Amino acid sequence: MSDFLNIATVALVVLAQSSLQLNLGGLILLYHASAGKHRRRKTRYLAKSYIWGAMAVNFLAVCSSCFVADRLFSGKLSALWMLATIGVLVACGIVMWTLYYRGGKNTETWMPRSFARYIRKKSRNADDNISAFSLGMLSSFAEMPLSLALYLIAGNAILQTSANIQIILIVAYTLLTALPMFVLKLRMKTGANVIAAQRWRVRNKKFIRFVSGSSFLILGLFIFTFWVL
Amino acid sequence: MARKKISYEYSRAGVEQSILASARSARIPEGWAKQIAKRVADGTDRWIEDKDTVTEGDLRRVIVRELKEISPELAFAYSNHDKII
Repeated sequence: MSDFLNIATVALVVLAQSSLQLNLGGLILLYHASAGKHRRRKTRYLAKSYIWGAMAVNFLAVCSSCFVADRLFSGKLSALWMLATIGVLVACGIVMWTLYYRGGKNTETWMPRSFARYIRKKSRNADDNISAFSLGMLSSFAEMPLSLALYLIAGNAILQTSANIQIILIVAYTLLTALPMFVLKLRMKTGANVIAAQRWRVRNKKFIRFVSGSSFLILGLFIFTFWVL
Repeated sequence: MARKKISYEYSRAGVEQSILASARSARIPEGWAKQIAKRVADGTDRWIEDKDTVTEGDLRRVIVRELKEISPELAFAYSNHDKII
């Protein structure tokens, strides 16, 4: 398998992962809660810690999946495991299209309401960098049911590349999956307000849902074509 | 599992504070935000004066209704902050 195909696989995984909305939603919540009670400078620091927290989990998860692929699957997932993962990806794609968002003019996700309340409470109480960092980690963990298969695919693809670009791919993966949060942070820095960002998400909910679901299905098809057949 | 029902006294200051917090996140200038908070709190005072008990949901709906007339953006912020995730 050429490096080009492995990089293309990782790129598709990044697309699917960055279309998940919990990290971004958590950051908007944090901005909303923090802007109401702190100075802008402090809000910026909290947002930075949140992004670091989310990135730390993504980084560790993809490293762990590399380790798992190496130790449990001798460096490469078998065709049978690939097919099982493709099944999970297709299921995730359908879930993204149908169940990911709740109805109404909002961006509430599939998460149980009690857990969403817990995250909201945590974001209201995030007054220091450690709490913001752990909130970022929590939001990444909460997305695991949908992102676990993505980590496995990414880890497997990264392991197939030559050794000198593996670490570059892991770092690129971590940075690119955090891109939506960087963009939001940049928009906040340049004077936009968090309400405009949330209004955009509500207005484009159907589009985001379509892109997310499609990216999972396209990834499944891509893996089936180039890794299984 | 039944959720705990908590009762507390209506507080005009609480209403003003919650509107001011939303106004800050919408980056509305402080003076204008205080005026909005005062006008909305006047409205909720008028609405609540002939009622013995109200739910938090009712109070929020009244606040959003009042806010929509003054600042639709702030009304959106206030009504949506618990529906982000």
